[in-house]
Amino acid sequence: MSGPVPVKCVVWDIDNTLLTGVFLEAGDQPPAADPELAAVLAELGGRGILHALASKNPPAAAEHTAAVTGWQFAAAECGWGRKSDALTKIAATLGLGVDTLAFVDDDPVERAEVASALPQVRVLTPAEATEAAGWPEFSPPVVTAEARRRGQLYAERRQRQAARQSFGGTRDEFLRSVGTDVSIAPASRSDLPRLAELAARTRQFNSAAGQRQAPPGVVPPDWFAGLLADRATDVLTVRLQDSFGDDGLVGACVIDRGDPAAWTVRLLMISCRAMGRGVAEALLAWLTRRAASQGAQALRVPCTIDERNLPLRLALAGAGFRAASQVPAGPATGPVPAGAPASPAAAVFARELAGPLPGLASWVHPDPEAPLPNARPEPA
Amino acid sequence: MTAAVDATARGLREILATLTGRGELLALPAGTPLFGEAVALDSLTGTLLLREIQRRFGVDVAAEDLNLDALATLGTLAEFVAARRARAG
Repeated sequence: MSGPVPVKCVVWDIDNTLLTGVFLEAGDQPPAADPELAAVLAELGGRGILHALASKNPPAAAEHTAAVTGWQFAAAECGWGRKSDALTKIAATLGLGVDTLAFVDDDPVERAEVASALPQVRVLTPAEATEAAGWPEFSPPVVTAEARRRGQLYAERRQRQAARQSFGGTRDEFLRSVGTDVSIAPASRSDLPRLAELAARTRQFNSAAGQRQAPPGVVPPDWFAGLLADRATDVLTVRLQDSFGDDGLVGACVIDRGDPAAWTVRLLMISCRAMGRGVAEALLAWLTRRAASQGAQALRVPCTIDERNLPLRLALAGAGFRAASQVPAGPATGPVPAGAPASPAAAVFARELAGPLPGLASWVHPDPEAPLPNARPEPA
Repeated sequence: MTAAVDATARGLREILATLTGRGELLALPAGTPLFGEAVALDSLTGTLLLREIQRRFGVDVAAEDLNLDALATLGTLAEFVAARRARAG
């Protein structure tokens, strides 16, 4: 059976947890931070794990907690509702599955409420949280520059969402107005750690989702490296930025050109952070145009079917792909460790490349019909 | 269109207008392609739309329609949802 799901975000209580007292009872001198837990925030944050707050307090308590712990929280739910509702909201705000959350609270009643309503959440006492840094579910196998900046990237995402809500126009008009820039390029060796991290973390937008039934995060480290050397395979990276910030490498795909008439996308993955920003649509439009310009007549995307990767199916449907054949269980096409159990339901989505192709937004480059640029130079 | 399909289509227009913040979608003709330029349904909005359909109408489009053909136009989606509700109800 699979190992523990990696924790992507820790949701913290404030009173008598991150603070050494009760915010509203302290009067003019709000309590200080718990030094031991402040160190845990920094340790886990350095591994790319997000932190959020869920507290029965006014919002001022979250501001105070951020100030005394010196930490930028990715989300905060302050109010007097149920903590399980706060966790559900935080997961939705951050685009994360509830099963990737951990929850830390000194109050046994709150812990019991969350454990009962959301059994997939890891529920910890503050004392347990001080040891969590040593546990496998809090120890991602690879930590990249993107991961260390993750808290800041989510803050930029909140600003972008606020701007989007007050914008009023269509999504494409908004993306253009904020200077969205999607660039597609061959992967280089310096991209390998980030590719492995994306393979381990992406779920909603991963064509091989659910096939990795060994402990999540265990991707054969040399899988992508081996593909870089294969002349019939392209490993392409997708980078995203706009006026709010640079998200770096947010997606990738592995294309098998072994059959020049029908290219196969062996793996397609995009960070959930990039959802709603046109990246999936851009990549699929680019791929169909690229394959067509190189003489291919069809493009195939073998894809796991489950309830979590619906966003990928929607993007495929929007780009004109159809499920050509459904495979209840079969050999995996993605990075699957040998001996993994049978894969879940899957289908091969495909489309012909004759006739009109999906439109390519003006902010996507390079031109898919131009020769591919070289991989980015290796760092010296 | 039957009355049930009409009512479903009205509900779907409301959901789309709320999700996108675009009031003009309340007047969307039934034949409008959802993936086309007027609505430009993307993966995020599509996911939220199907989740809301499941909550409001009790129909799990994603589980019953592998290819998501139901999402071709507003009208096909309304017919799909109304037919599943009639069968269940």
